[in-house]
Order: sequence, then structure tokens, then C-alpha cells
Amino acid sequence: MRVFLFLLMTALSMASRLAGAADDADSSYRLGNGYPVSDSGFRIGGYATAQVGARHAAPKHFEISDLSLFLTWDNGSRLRFFSELEVGDALSASEQQSLGIQDAHFEFERGYFDALVNNNLTVRVGKFLTPVGQWNVIHAAPLVWTSSRPVVTENLFSTHVSGLMLHGSVSLAERQLEYSVYGDASDSIDPHRSKEPFENAIGAHLRYFLDDTLQLGVSFAHFALNEPLPVRYYLSGLDVAWVYRKFELSSEIVYRAGDHAFSENNWQGFVQGVLPVPMSQHWFAVGRYEFFEQTLAQTGQVGLLGLAYRPLPPLIWKLEYQLGTHNELLAPDGVSASFAVLF
Amino acid sequence: MLMRIAYPLLFVLLSVGLPVRAEPLAVIIATANPLNSLTADALKLIYQRKSQMDAEGNRWIPLNLPLPDPLRRGFSLAVFSMLPEEQEDYWNIQYFNGITPPKVMASEEAIVRFVASTTGSIGYVRKQKVDNRVKVLLFITPPTEK
Repeated sequence: MRVFLFLLMTALSMASRLAGAADDADSSYRLGNGYPVSDSGFRIGGYATAQVGARHAAPKHFEISDLSLFLTWDNGSRLRFFSELEVGDALSASEQQSLGIQDAHFEFERGYFDALVNNNLTVRVGKFLTPVGQWNVIHAAPLVWTSSRPVVTENLFSTHVSGLMLHGSVSLAERQLEYSVYGDASDSIDPHRSKEPFENAIGAHLRYFLDDTLQLGVSFAHFALNEPLPVRYYLSGLDVAWVYRKFELSSEIVYRAGDHAFSENNWQGFVQGVLPVPMSQHWFAVGRYEFFEQTLAQTGQVGLLGLAYRPLPPLIWKLEYQLGTHNELLAPDGVSASFAVLF
Repeated sequence: MLMRIAYPLLFVLLSVGLPVRAEPLAVIIATANPLNSLTADALKLIYQRKSQMDAEGNRWIPLNLPLPDPLRRGFSLAVFSMLPEEQEDYWNIQYFNGITPPKVMASEEAIVRFVASTTGSIGYVRKQKVDNRVKVLLFITPPTEK
């Protein structure tokens, strides 16, 4: 295996050097941009996250929680490919367990083809992230400000779709409206099932750019989850993000209703603010409030305070503390710290 | 003797202290391309890789100069109202979704050569670098970098 990896890296390196034409300043590796393989259109990259945590009523733990590998192919034609393979908990240790690979598992995160029909329409086929809100579609640790993700971004729907999506953007009142309309058939076609996958689903997300700093999104979905009860859910959501220089304010709210007599209807949401620490280029303070109605428990609420250090855009160190009520199951109290890099 | 040294020194000091007037940049495509004009908003979408195809159905290939190049910085300020390094968060998110930033070329001449020979490519150079291999879609005037 080591020999194979060595040969692969050597071959990629040589191919890249050979392709390094004098006019092209793009052929070398840059952190956070991936590794272009010659002029083949292939690019290899990914991200990694290491995390330590001390949560209420749980052993202190350390883990390399994500080790993701991206493979992109785009040769300038109307077809392009993207895939993400992930080793979850590649290395872990806790108070009750020594350092090892005992929890390591493989995940087929994403894999899809995009076919560009015209400037306003692209057809995607494969497995991709569910476009509900904003967090889920950019959830990678180097791209978000906290080690933990808000409950609303993953609790009420499957985070992945396996099927077909039509997406693109159109101009509306001189501003961009981005749309995604998808159909899922996970039950039939997903070879490596996600955590709590859809049985099947249809849905849409619209995002409107009110100006360069403010965007507003709405989500809709109608789906069945892969669970014992034959319930169909209706989901609707609202998301907003305002980014001005290094200040950010974002929020997502989702409401889910089921059509079964025993299913509960749930509201969940969060509001998060990020501001640069005065006199510093790279330090940021993060605050978040979230609430989540949950089955068989009272509504949970959590407040989070955090600090992030970002020496370069693809690198981030995070430290955070969260405290709440009725949150033991979904977002327990405690401290966590992490390091993430996009490579 | 003193004046011979003092005047040039004063000129140099004043030149350093005053903002340099930015030159207009010509946005260029190949002469054979049927497109004859482009709005600033359309250019912005092309360089954000949100607009992916031209009217002929060819993929846009936007070209940039290297990050520290003053023309690149001026172009970025004119089109996005921000410096290239302030756009890195945007490109990190795009990279997570398999979309890479515009291709970076080593020089203005490299841009002219690439644009002239590659369908769908679009770039920017100073006005005096434009020749009959390419045509100008629009001129943009970069604001002075503070």
C-alpha cells in the first residue's frame, strides 16, 4: 500500500511538473486549492479535522474526526465530476479507550456528475448534499466557525440526497436567484447509505442575493425517512446570511410536520454571529443561540460562545463552550476544541 | 549642487506619497468570438464562475494575473469591490463544491496568447497590450488601492 501511494504521488508530481508551461502560473500546489494533475482536468484535495471534547456525562475524547478526499474532474467540457470519500473517526481515543483506529469507518459522502445544459441550468446526477439551508451544503470543518453544528442543520432531514437535481441561477430584478430542485431515490440507488437516509424525497431550495452582503433562502421538501414508521414529512425552512467584511450574521429555521397520527411537528433554528476580535487580523469571536423541539423531550435550548483563530483562510483553530437546557441528547453541555485544514 | 540632489529627491518623495492613477483595463476575448460587448455585472458573474457558458454554448474560461500583480488587485477592486485575498472564503466554499477559481496566467502577454487561441477564454490587460489577436468587450477603471 505504501509503495502504491509513493508511486502515485511521484507520478502525479512528475505529470504536474511536465505540464508546467511558462504561461500558466496555476500548475503548482496551493493550500486550500487542491492538487491539479497536469492538464488532465483532474484535481485532488480534501480536508482534515482533529477534535478534542469534554462533554457533560461523556468521556473526554480525541479524534481525527474527518479525513476527506476530493476528486474533481473538469476539462472545460459541459460535463464535470466531483466526489468526496471520507474516513470518519480515523484515529480516536477517550478516557475509556486507548488511541487507535477502532472507530474508523468509510463514508461515501458525495459523488456526482454535473451536465451543463445552458448558462441557467445544470443537471446533477449522483449523491450530493441536501440543499436545506446553508450550513449543510458547506458543512466542512474548515468552512464553518464552530466544531459543533447546530441541531437544525441535520436533525429533521437526511443530509444527503441520492438522485437527480436541476440547479442554476437566473436574474430576477437585476439580482441573482439560485435554485435547486431535486428528487431522491436513496432506497434504490445509494450503495453506502448515509446516517438516517431518505427513503425517497422531492424538494427545492431558492436563494436570492439582495445585494453583495445579504442573501435570503427558502427550502421545501416532502420526504419519507428510512425508519420503521411509514411517515411522510413536509419540511419548510428559511435561511438568511449577512456578511460584511469580517462580520457575519446567519440564521436558519426549519419546520417539519408529519402525516402520521403519532408523528410530532417540530420547529428548530439557530442564530449565529461572528465578529473580528479588535486589533487582530485573525481572531474571531463566535456566539450562537439555538432551539430545537424534539420527540419525547421538551424543547432544547443551547447557547454557545467560541473563539476562532484563522491564520490563513484554509486553516482554522476553534475553541468553544456550550451550555443549555434539555440538550443532553442532541447538543450536550461542554467544551470542545478543534483544528481543521482544507488541502 | 544641493538643488541637483534636492529636486529629484523631492520628486521621488512626492511620487511615493501620492496615489498612482490606475490605468484602464481592457477586458478581452478572441477576435473570432461573436460577442461584442459585456456588462460589468455579467463580467462579475463570469469571474465568480456563476456564469459558466457564453451565448454560443462554450464554457467560459476566465483568466487572472497572479495574486500580487497590481493589475489583478485593481481588477478585483473594480469588479468585486474587494481585494483578491478578501475573496478567499468564497473560493474555499466553491472548492468544497468542486468549482475552482479562474485560471492564473503569468503575464499580460500570456493572457493575450491564451485568449487568442482558446475558445471561451476571457481576460484583462492594459489597453496598450491589446492587438489584433483579441478584441475588447469593455474597459474598466480600477479604483486606487488604499
